[in-house]
Amino acid sequence: MAEPELLLDSNIRLWVVLPIVFITFLVGVIRHYVSILLQSDKKLTLEQVSDSQVLIRSRILRENGKYIPKQSFLMRKFYFNNQEDGFLKNTKRKVVPPSPMTDPSMLTDMMKGNVTNVLPMILIGGWINWTFSGFVTTKVPFPLTLRFKPMLQQGIELLSLDASWVSSASWYFLNVFGLRSMYSLILGQDNGADQSRIMQEQMSGAAMAMPADTNKAFKAEWEALELTDHQWALENIEEELMSRELDLDGMFSQELPTGIF
Amino acid sequence: MSKNVLIIVFTEMRDKLRKWREDNHRNSEQIVDVGEELINEHASKLGDDIWIIYEQVMIAALDCSRDDLAWTCLQELKRQFPGSQRVKRLAGMRLEALEKYEDASKQYDSILQDDPTNTAARKRKISILKAQGKSAEAIRELNEYLEQFVGDQEAWHELSELYINEHDYGKAAFCLEELMMTNPHNHLYCEQYAEVKYTQGGLENLELSRKYFAQALKLNNRNMRALFGLYMSASHIAASPKVNATVKKANVKYATWATNQINRAYQVSYARCLL
Repeated sequence: MAEPELLLDSNIRLWVVLPIVFITFLVGVIRHYVSILLQSDKKLTLEQVSDSQVLIRSRILRENGKYIPKQSFLMRKFYFNNQEDGFLKNTKRKVVPPSPMTDPSMLTDMMKGNVTNVLPMILIGGWINWTFSGFVTTKVPFPLTLRFKPMLQQGIELLSLDASWVSSASWYFLNVFGLRSMYSLILGQDNGADQSRIMQEQMSGAAMAMPADTNKAFKAEWEALELTDHQWALENIEEELMSRELDLDGMFSQELPTGIF
Repeated sequence: MSKNVLIIVFTEMRDKLRKWREDNHRNSEQIVDVGEELINEHASKLGDDIWIIYEQVMIAALDCSRDDLAWTCLQELKRQFPGSQRVKRLAGMRLEALEKYEDASKQYDSILQDDPTNTAARKRKISILKAQGKSAEAIRELNEYLEQFVGDQEAWHELSELYINEHDYGKAAFCLEELMMTNPHNHLYCEQYAEVKYTQGGLENLELSRKYFAQALKLNNRNMRALFGLYMSASHIAASPKVNATVKKANVKYATWATNQINRAYQVSYARCLL
């Protein structure tokens, strides 16, 4: 039942596996910097900035409303959620779904995204396939069906070879997706070399239209605020404070440490 | 040997400037001293840091009426970053310092034409109104600004100060509430809010102020102002004829506790003086 174990030349490890890892990694880093260079300035309108801040204020009201007196909390909740003229209830923003045809900047962004990400991947994948062809590179640790053979064993014409043995092109693609976490380690979050994130973005790109989001965000915020109650944090503050003596350590010294933070 | 000493001094100066920049200190005279020497002697060693140091030193120079220094910094920045809005704002600030308010206002208007979301220019225009003493207009403009940019904490604080100067304590309290919500752990906002409530007067406000003085104390046990405020508000409530017996008793208890703590604090300070 044990399949015949293939012993690969250790030169393969030295001259194929490692160079492909290097190449993938370096190409990823270069992609990140190129995407930074090609980044177009996102001009935000006054309305967008203003709306995002209003949403933040409403969220803060929900989370930290317990630190202000009940009357003030109710006043603000009324301002946001009132039936007739509450801000969150009644403000409707014009919704213009940015389709690639109508919005020229979106089009150029998409093109730039494609050029920096998909094109290099195809080119380098093809080059690796051509350079490192004709031999088996590595073995994937799980068994695969025969269907995968033509895909993963590009240059190898052996009918009896296990589908787990793959060629260098598939090792390259494995690297492209595997090095994602390395990129976030080295380049920080949100870097331009993150392939799968970009592909995810492209798929959900149509649904991510910002203007429509604002109306939905307002509605979601309205609902959340309706549910919020005011639990005053200062209800028993005197008892809590006076349960013990004040900690006057370090008072009147030169370097005054400030409070909790 | 002396070169080593010079190098050590240079890095120390640069780090001090950076610390002041990050902590937003307004010690303008020190910044001018250190910064001027850095710019004149060690400009080459600073590399790209020099531009942000120019900005920092320029603002400090305007504070100290050092027009010559401010002008040189501005020229250098203009040469390196022509057409930058940040530099335009600095040019406007210099005009403000020379009291050429009309020209400064025009400068800020031109920035706003290019970029209507630029908050710095709008805030400078409001400071011009404040400098000219037109506080009613400044309040109005600041209110409009805050309607657009609800999240600007600096602006809320400035508005609360303007309202306090106009003795409109209700509105000042509103602004401080915004600040308390966004910074729930800052004992200074709680204390300022309590003081405004105390100044407003009336039984309800006094109770609120006592609670917020207590909150400030809870956040920072060493806030002497809050301790005194707690004592004052508690004794004020206890002395008021409108309260019933239980409330009076509770407040007397609070006031006595506060007195004990104040005595302890004085003892600590006395002990330190003896050292």
